[in-house]
Amino acid sequence: MKHINWIGLYTFIRRELSRIFRVKVQTFAAPLISAFLFIFIFGFVLGQRIELIAGVSYMSFVFPGILAMNILASSFEHTASSVYFGRWVKSIHEMLVAPFSYIEMLVGLVASAMIRASIIACGILIIGFLFGALTITHPLIFILVVASISVIFSLVGILVGMWANGFEQLGVLNVFVITPLSFLGGMFYSIEYLPTVVKNITLFNPFFYFIDMMRFATIGIHESHLLVGAIVFGVLIVGLSSLVLYLFHIGWRIRE
Amino acid sequence: MNAVDIVDFKKEYRGGTVAVNGLSLSIKQGEFFGLLGPNGAGKSTTIHCITGIASITSGSIQVYGIDVVADYREARKKIGLSPQDFNVDIFSKVWQILDYNAGYFGVPKEKRATRIEELLERFDLTSHRNKAFQHLSGGLKRRVMLARALVHDPDLIILDEPTAGVDVEMRHDLWRYLRELNELGKTVILTSHYLDEVELLCDRIGIINNGKIVALGDKGEFIKEGDRLEQTYMKITKGEKWSGSTA
Repeated sequence: MKHINWIGLYTFIRRELSRIFRVKVQTFAAPLISAFLFIFIFGFVLGQRIELIAGVSYMSFVFPGILAMNILASSFEHTASSVYFGRWVKSIHEMLVAPFSYIEMLVGLVASAMIRASIIACGILIIGFLFGALTITHPLIFILVVASISVIFSLVGILVGMWANGFEQLGVLNVFVITPLSFLGGMFYSIEYLPTVVKNITLFNPFFYFIDMMRFATIGIHESHLLVGAIVFGVLIVGLSSLVLYLFHIGWRIRE
Repeated sequence: MNAVDIVDFKKEYRGGTVAVNGLSLSIKQGEFFGLLGPNGAGKSTTIHCITGIASITSGSIQVYGIDVVADYREARKKIGLSPQDFNVDIFSKVWQILDYNAGYFGVPKEKRATRIEELLERFDLTSHRNKAFQHLSGGLKRRVMLARALVHDPDLIILDEPTAGVDVEMRHDLWRYLRELNELGKTVILTSHYLDEVELLCDRIGIINNGKIVALGDKGEFIKEGDRLEQTYMKITKGEKWSGSTA
């Protein structure tokens, strides 16, 4: 532990937070307004005309999915923009010439993304409370699920930030993977409503497990086996962390 | 102990461009060393590989006996770099750039505050401390880069074109400061296209061309027989054989 650059790591996180608070409207106001609209339109307006799903109101059913989507999106955007912007203006050199280990670089990026995601999650929980949709049945699991989703997507964001060669590429994953798979992962519906073939395909969509685990933590219902969900989370965290550390080690696209 | 030991160093970029090929060089502790060469000769590449901005293809580089690859964290603590490019978060304020960089190198809060004030004053940046980097003039930006390189009080100071765009008064002031630091035992590596600056400051000079050291020696060897450094430099980079050492 004495070999950890604690002051450096704390400074790294402090700098990352300063960066996101510099553009508060983009980092905090935009996702909260978006979440409010989703909850108001789908949960409140349409939800009143939709029958109970799995014994809960439609508002309560969609709320965990909206929460999960915002946590993953903010975590992804944080690290993707940090790494890409750092490469673009070469400020990433400051990290490369400093005495940081690759694990410290990873922890600094992921921890700051988790703080940003937690702030947004708190905001959405307040919105949910105002609409009467807030229930947390399993608080410990809820914290674990929020943290796990944030870690996974901050790691994905680091990879995309390293890979992207332009602002357009930076948005590619969000447009073609994250948004479609979130929506198709049972965010607004129960997979029981799907034809068997589509339902079976959905079981290969990792986003389904993120939303399902969040639903279990909040309203206590789930459609998949919880152990499968836990394995999906574990495998992704270990696999993505290992990949990011390896790429930091070889300096892929960050070192000349 | 040498401050820098480079042995058979080679750097090949993706795409096959060989920037440095088999360079060997030692820089003594406390030396003021001038690394010269035409654009694209391999000076910045060598500096980038010493500091960790670029990876080494083969060979080895040690800083104060510490391998910059195997024990990179310890090696980097010794180095302060003022790069040619402004590699900084352009939206950060001047004091933040210094504060963050001191923090990265583990400088505690109280020490950091004192050191930052000292450097802001030294580089005449006090009135600009709350300005974002992007709003500074070229000369001020260069001064921030210099202050950033020195904020953690490194033993080895690497200055890649440190006075480009800096006004005459500040350039003279910087020269005085670098001399003071050198007298305190700091090792300085300077690359510059202002050869009068190199002639004035450096004890030893190396000229690199096409990725290899083509001339290396004490300053006196480059300015003998009434020649200025610039004349000798021109002869060597145009292919005239160097009569001194190249190892």
